[in-house]
Amino acid sequence: MDFADLFTDAGREIFAPTTAAFALAAIGLNFHFGLTGLLNMGHAGFMLVGMYGYAITVREGGGMVLGLIVAMLLAVVFGLILGWPTLKLRGDYLAIVTIAAAEFVRFLGRSSVMKNITGGSTGIRGSDYKEPFESLSPFPSEQITIGPFTMHGTASTSWFLVLVGWSVVGLFALLFWRLSNSPWGRVLKGIREDEDAVRSLGKNVYAYKMQALVIGGVIGALGGVLWSFSAAVQPDSMGRPTTFWLWTLLLLGGAATVFGPILGSIIFWTALVLVRSLAAMFIPETWMAATEREPFSLVLVGVTLMLLVIFRPQGILGNRRELAIND
Amino acid sequence: MTDKATPAKSGKNPKSSKDPFANVPHEPGAPKMDKIIVADHVKRRFGGLTAVDVAHFEVQRNAITALIGPNGAGKSTFFNLLTGFDRPQEGEWSFNGFSLHSKSPAQVARSGMVRTFQLTKALSRMTVMENMRLGAAQQVGENFFRALFPALWRKQEAEITAKAEELLVRFKLDAKKNDYAGELSGGQRKLLEMARALMSDPEIVMLDEPMAGVNPALTESLLDHIVELKKEGVTVLFVEHDMHMVRRISDWVVVMAEGKIIAEGPPDTVMANAAVQDAYLGSHHDTDLFEER
Amino acid sequence: MTTIHDRRVWLRAIVVLVLAAAAITVFSVLVADSAQAADVATHAVAADAGTDDVTTTDATTTTGGSGRVLQAVVNGLIFGSLLALASVGLSLIYGTTGLSNFAHGEQVSFGAVLTYFLVADDVSLPLIPGTFGIGIPLIPAALLAVAISAGTGWLQDKFLWSPLRRRRVGIVQQMIVSIGLSLAMLNMLQWWMGGGRMRLTTSIADRLQIGPVQISTQTLWSVLIAILCLLGVSYFLLRTRLGRATRAVSDNPALASASGIKVESIIRLVWILAAGLAGLGGILLGLYEQGTAFDAGARLLLLMFAAVTLGGLGQPFGALVGSLVIGLVAELSTLWLPADLKVATALVILIGVLLVRPQGILGRAERVG
Repeated sequence: MDFADLFTDAGREIFAPTTAAFALAAIGLNFHFGLTGLLNMGHAGFMLVGMYGYAITVREGGGMVLGLIVAMLLAVVFGLILGWPTLKLRGDYLAIVTIAAAEFVRFLGRSSVMKNITGGSTGIRGSDYKEPFESLSPFPSEQITIGPFTMHGTASTSWFLVLVGWSVVGLFALLFWRLSNSPWGRVLKGIREDEDAVRSLGKNVYAYKMQALVIGGVIGALGGVLWSFSAAVQPDSMGRPTTFWLWTLLLLGGAATVFGPILGSIIFWTALVLVRSLAAMFIPETWMAATEREPFSLVLVGVTLMLLVIFRPQGILGNRRELAIND
Repeated sequence: MTDKATPAKSGKNPKSSKDPFANVPHEPGAPKMDKIIVADHVKRRFGGLTAVDVAHFEVQRNAITALIGPNGAGKSTFFNLLTGFDRPQEGEWSFNGFSLHSKSPAQVARSGMVRTFQLTKALSRMTVMENMRLGAAQQVGENFFRALFPALWRKQEAEITAKAEELLVRFKLDAKKNDYAGELSGGQRKLLEMARALMSDPEIVMLDEPMAGVNPALTESLLDHIVELKKEGVTVLFVEHDMHMVRRISDWVVVMAEGKIIAEGPPDTVMANAAVQDAYLGSHHDTDLFEER
Repeated sequence: MTTIHDRRVWLRAIVVLVLAAAAITVFSVLVADSAQAADVATHAVAADAGTDDVTTTDATTTTGGSGRVLQAVVNGLIFGSLLALASVGLSLIYGTTGLSNFAHGEQVSFGAVLTYFLVADDVSLPLIPGTFGIGIPLIPAALLAVAISAGTGWLQDKFLWSPLRRRRVGIVQQMIVSIGLSLAMLNMLQWWMGGGRMRLTTSIADRLQIGPVQISTQTLWSVLIAILCLLGVSYFLLRTRLGRATRAVSDNPALASASGIKVESIIRLVWILAAGLAGLGGILLGLYEQGTAFDAGARLLLLMFAAVTLGGLGQPFGALVGSLVIGLVAELSTLWLPADLKVATALVILIGVLLVRPQGILGRAERVG
């Protein structure tokens, strides 16, 4: 492996569909945490619910539109169930309940009981549900090279998926911008700062928190669907680490900013690939076996998250002045 | 300042023909001529402790009523009960004849009763202007779907902004309108909180210790603002520790001790009341101790 | 609380629990019931039920109904007391600092993994080629591991949490820091030891048969040690000056500080204690489950949170009660649900309880205003 390959690999992450999927999910999380201050520690659960909803509907012959509707509806229901008991309680209860509920979905999905529906721990194969989406592709079904990057035109991680993925991300970034700069977004920001103050001004805080939780969850579910187009529906890929990565990249880019989730996702994935490749190039196999590179890079993710929160909680795009107000 | 004399006058030497308190007996639970708040048998217990046990309580419309009492008398708890931030075990209370029993804080606020907090709740990472705008009631754009279409709320937003500018000028915060609320001083935050409460044109403003933590230079202007409110037809009910302030601006004083109302009357009469002096002296020790916090 | 409010809350709880129960029943029915019946039988007796797929081996000992229930109760109490050991620290930390420490699971894994490191004879260190063996006997190794675990608690508080508190970093931010720490430690452990299962001891324990209940001597010892330690912690909290000070800090830090208690030193002590107990809990669980892994604690984290929340956040004895409840629920659920839904059931119970009594079993309702 040489430097040219290294940069191609890292460069591919800048626009890879998985990057778009995480950016989209992080936009959802931005509605929760960035705008409203909700501690959703189970965002991967929303993604997984969306993935299952879409993949199972399409596999059973429901078609793509119905699949998307089911994915979103499931996220709405999941959000309502989570928010109902917890949004009236102190913030860390939501954190514990969301993380528990996300794990519950994963356990249930991978359980042998559900094997006929969710495919148990092996999940659902891509070929079972990707066809309707890929048939929409205007690109030829062959490898296409643009500059240094080669990808398939239609299948799986394809140029078509890149195009669709980033369009969707752009659309939801626009939605976030519109809503966060509206009176609705203003109420959410108020809730983030102090719930009781907003209550005293006559706003129904519970309803707003629920709206934020549901809309963010739906976006998370769509992020999950997007992810599943370039991978497969695999419950264990949506465990707690996924949620924590989302938090890392959101805080990296800057919570409550429009482009924070997008920039965060790009930097996160590019850096991850860079670290792995550099480790492979410069650290001899006897020191670090190939299997050890993954945990090594994730140690760095964890450390990055800690350092970010301690030293630059506003992230790359956040407002410096906001940092001065630490209460 | 010219205003300085006014509060004293309205408190001490009102024109008797217009004084709404002329015929009100100086006793706990006294009936008022034009009542805006009425509370009956409101009881709040925490475990074995009865924090509030108010048999009857009325507030006169368009007057400044002070709620005083030694520490732990249950004033703030009573305030929380009236505004829906806490729920009593029993009791019935109404605002403008409209029952507030089991109403949420937001519903209470929407009915025209807006409160502030002892520990100021300025929304730190929002600008002063955004704080003010948030205070306005019935905003079209606060609905999720309508928020998506600025055309629906842009006009109202401009009106709200104009109103906010006006209030900010009045409260001398106009120069700070683009600063984050978290960058203001403690006293400025109190002002902002009061101004924000006025954005919704409330009928009654409930101020929880408006003077706590405000530097002396600002207390004067805060007092003036409170008196100003009354002139505009707003009713004020406030909780306060500082007796001098109470004497300066209030028309009527209600004294609580150990959860009960023990005396009512104009400032001077109440201060001379033996029961009140007992209550204060009895727990004077505490008062001094806690005032430092 | 008003009666109306109460009724509404109960109603909500009942609706959610009924829905959950209905959902689980429906899903169970959808599956081939023959395979499931065998599953249940096997797992009622197997003490070790990994979360891996259960593809049924042989339905060996299908004991009578009451025997199975009794076995599940015993397993539940065993698991609960081991869980309590791990979660008491989590609760103490929450009580004294307000922090929900997401890295507590890794403290549990650390104790177990470190013991394996000291016991085994083919281990390595990250970035250092080659394997070597330390090969200390189990008991001294465990003691050393607990001591080192406690040391990490001290280190962590000294160089991470205490500076953060001094800088007045918000509690939410601290919680996210703990998540980062958890991610870093989890992967550090995997990097260090790999993803495989580690057996702390190779000796095969005798199984005792007491009436219809089976229990291995190894488990018996583990439980005994756990109970002794829990009694020790209770004694510490209730009867010693330091323990009372700890509870005072937990109750009201400002007041404790005003009455001359050195809050920071108490918190330091709590971190040492919590990390040590978590390490011990990890070792004993590793013995009970006949093996440990880099993510043993991570898998336990939610159950610990469930236990602590159930008992009442910040109430050390609440963690004890909560752990026993969670242990019992998890094991009893295996009587009619497949073992891989054990954790899931416990989580549903957690959500249900939060609906009825958000302050937990032993917690007090918070005073507003």
